[in-house]
Amino acid sequence: MGDKENETTLPGPFPPQGKKPLQKDNQHMSQPTSGNTPTNTPMIVCEGIYKWFDDFCALRNVHLTVARQEVIVILGPSGSGKSTLIRTMNRLEKHDKGRILIDGTELTDDIRKIQEVRREVGMVFQQFNLFPHLTVLDNITLAPRHVRRMPKKDAEAQAIELLTRVQIPQQAHKYPGQLSGGQQQRVAIARALAMEPKVMLFDEPTSALDPEMIKEVLDVITDLAESGMTMIVVSHEMGFARAAANRVVFMDAGEIVEVNTPDRFFSQPQEERAKTFLSQIL
Amino acid sequence: MAAIQPSPSSNDLQPPYTRTTPLSWVLQNLFNNWYNTVFTLFFGVILSYAAYRGLRFFFVTARWEIVETNLTNLMVGQFPRNELERVWAALFLLGGSGGFIAGQAKQLSTQDPTSPPPSPGREQILDFVRRAWPFTILVLFLLRLSRSTTIMLLILALVALTGAGRLIGARIPGASPKRITIFALATACATLLLLLFNGPPSQEWGGLLLTVFLSTVSILASFPLGILLALGRRSSLPAIRFVCVGYIEVIRGVPLITLLLLSTILKLFLPPNSFDPNDITRAAVVLALFTAAYVAEIMRGGFQAIPQGQIEAAQALGLVPIQTIRLIGLPQAIRKVVPALVGQFISLLKDTSLVSIIGLSDILKVSRSFTSQDDFVGKGLTAETLAAACLVYWALCFTMSKESKRLEERLGVGER
Repeated sequence: MGDKENETTLPGPFPPQGKKPLQKDNQHMSQPTSGNTPTNTPMIVCEGIYKWFDDFCALRNVHLTVARQEVIVILGPSGSGKSTLIRTMNRLEKHDKGRILIDGTELTDDIRKIQEVRREVGMVFQQFNLFPHLTVLDNITLAPRHVRRMPKKDAEAQAIELLTRVQIPQQAHKYPGQLSGGQQQRVAIARALAMEPKVMLFDEPTSALDPEMIKEVLDVITDLAESGMTMIVVSHEMGFARAAANRVVFMDAGEIVEVNTPDRFFSQPQEERAKTFLSQIL
Repeated sequence: MAAIQPSPSSNDLQPPYTRTTPLSWVLQNLFNNWYNTVFTLFFGVILSYAAYRGLRFFFVTARWEIVETNLTNLMVGQFPRNELERVWAALFLLGGSGGFIAGQAKQLSTQDPTSPPPSPGREQILDFVRRAWPFTILVLFLLRLSRSTTIMLLILALVALTGAGRLIGARIPGASPKRITIFALATACATLLLLLFNGPPSQEWGGLLLTVFLSTVSILASFPLGILLALGRRSSLPAIRFVCVGYIEVIRGVPLITLLLLSTILKLFLPPNSFDPNDITRAAVVLALFTAAYVAEIMRGGFQAIPQGQIEAAQALGLVPIQTIRLIGLPQAIRKVVPALVGQFISLLKDTSLVSIIGLSDILKVSRSFTSQDDFVGKGLTAETLAAACLVYWALCFTMSKESKRLEERLGVGER
């Protein structure tokens, strides 16, 4: 559809002045959210990640380091391995080679390590994946109650708070099937936030939405970025990438082709493949 | 483009109102063209004749005295007549606590903010009639045959006790799923104790009592076993998968009758000299093992129908596999297979009639034995005895089927 053209040529809904300061070279800065954890270590380290699906090489030699509070937007043509990459970061996909460290914990076959990482990493899916048999409130309180062992009352109070933050507190007792796509995705964000994650992964969060609902979801994600959450967002929303990202990662054919600031990536991309990609979508 | 239309008034937004009178319904649906008229007349004649013969048999020509004399046999078989208080006590216990549980469950559902507002009293009564009419017919039929004031009073007391339990259950505050489960388990244990403790030997059980006992026990046992088998079949561990697939395919490949005949070898699988299962236990075990294989396949279908994204979402939230199954997989799978599952259980209830092959006197076997009694031999009263057995089976199965439909509607809340 033609919306993408509009979003990149016209000023998008996300004015660049709202962008938070770039955090270069992992310099430590005041960290209101992460308490006593060391602030100068990177949040995510990927070293030489390879992933095969049978004979198809989905990720080849991916190196990526994400600092605390950094917002990364991954762009690239479909089938380039964007989703696969972030799905290896909470072990929804097992990487075949290389090392992945999330906040210092290495992802291996050790199931306890995997659970530890999953507790700290929130994920939002393209298809929302809300649990249809549970109300909105139960969707959000499920993991805090059963994984964090939070008492029901506390979990529900927190859920209402989160629903207020994503601006749908009045839908708490409905079922996901009764909500619009945009509302469902905002519930999904609230559900991930209820685990108080250190990192949020967004796998094409607006790709399954009707055009008029994209903005309400992107607004929530942008707010979250401004609050200092470390985030990796796979997206086709160029306006969002410009406004919210600290760095843009461009992938093609399973490789990271270019990593750049959004301003420079969109105005003067360095790599030939990035130029071709941008020329196709702009 | 046409000129701008005036915006529709609220009247135009109503669906067109059509009044359907019985006559217009008949004209529209039964006599709307020549061939439908022919069909209507043809099948109308056939159905009316069949209904006439059926009703005439039931109300006029049938000689119900054969069932009348044997009513106790039909209900409990050879169960010692001086121990019948046990059965009545069990019935009262089940009625009272069943009512209490229903009341507590009602209270629980009204506490739930997602539940629809309570319907007016008249609706509730109508609803109850819609639920209970097949069973009521059966009870009235049996009462009509028994002609015993004592039994009628007992039944009335049972109904009253159930109603009282329901009212008390709805009034005692603090209902919780945990309390209901504990209460149900306690009731089940107490019932078994009442019937079995120091009670008549198992070979004297029979009739409806045996049929209901066998079906209840095997339904309750086969359901969890079937779920475990379905999960095992989907396990990533090859050994577990192999065992479960093997079990399911072997059981499904053998007729139930064969398994029942083979049940005598059951004790070969138990430690020597430990415990010699009686016929009823063996039949219940075989029925449960048999049904479990089918339940496993039904549940596997349910699990396979769950989108992968649901499991991924649960994993991403940090739920461990067993929580994922318990909180996400099972509830969704069961919702998808309620009709098939209840179908399987109805089938199980009717299959209990096969236990006569190993010498048990279920309701069908008992009713067939009446015609060889001295008083009735050679009088050709097979139809009456079989009709009575049919009515009992039908009332049980149809009630299950109606309750399953209700359950489906309730579980489907909010799903698109």
